[in-house]
Amino acid sequence: MNKHPLLRAYLAGIAVPTAFLMVVAIVFTYVRYVSDVPLPIERVIVFPMAFVPNLWGLWNVLYVSIFSQRHISLGLLGALLPLLLAPMGVTVAHFLHFPIPQQIPPLAPIGLPIGMVLYYLAWKYLVGFFNTELGIG
Amino acid sequence: MNDPFKDDELAGIREALRQALPPVEQPELRRDLWPDMLRRLEQPPFRVPWFDWALLALTAAALAFFPALIPALVYHL
Repeated sequence: MNKHPLLRAYLAGIAVPTAFLMVVAIVFTYVRYVSDVPLPIERVIVFPMAFVPNLWGLWNVLYVSIFSQRHISLGLLGALLPLLLAPMGVTVAHFLHFPIPQQIPPLAPIGLPIGMVLYYLAWKYLVGFFNTELGIG
Repeated sequence: MNDPFKDDELAGIREALRQALPPVEQPELRRDLWPDMLRRLEQPPFRVPWFDWALLALTAAALAFFPALIPALVYHL
């Protein structure tokens, strides 16, 4: 298994958010259509459905092609991804005229470190597992 | 007592089956898998360090205190 390591890195990277996407879709559908929350979630669902998995894949490609040779921790690199994703998510929501609930922006200073910790753990254990299984760890 | 017609029929079926199912081949493996197996056996057991557990507990506690963050985090995952 020594062919196309970057393709395998991409596939290992998108595996986790793609699997988690099912949970996201169920939660969003439930919140929107069962609980009748008056937020047009369908406008911004494109972000977790398309942007996030692709960015995970590309981030893992970046790790395999550059950072793994410099012995930088996968978890650490993964923890940096929310610093890119959070502003992107806000920008997408802004462009699609999604009304961000008022209680969310003041919580950003707490939410960002929490996201980084979750990403650190997810990348260290889940993406790391897939990388090892695909022979690129 | 054997029925010659039945024997012929069975022989025909046997032959038809033999032709339909090719003999199972056992090709050589491309490489020896035993070194990989040994490597895997020698790997230390999977262990999560205490600080990762602490981080997870801290995150869970923070989300319990600020549940409004959960949808925002789900959106970014």
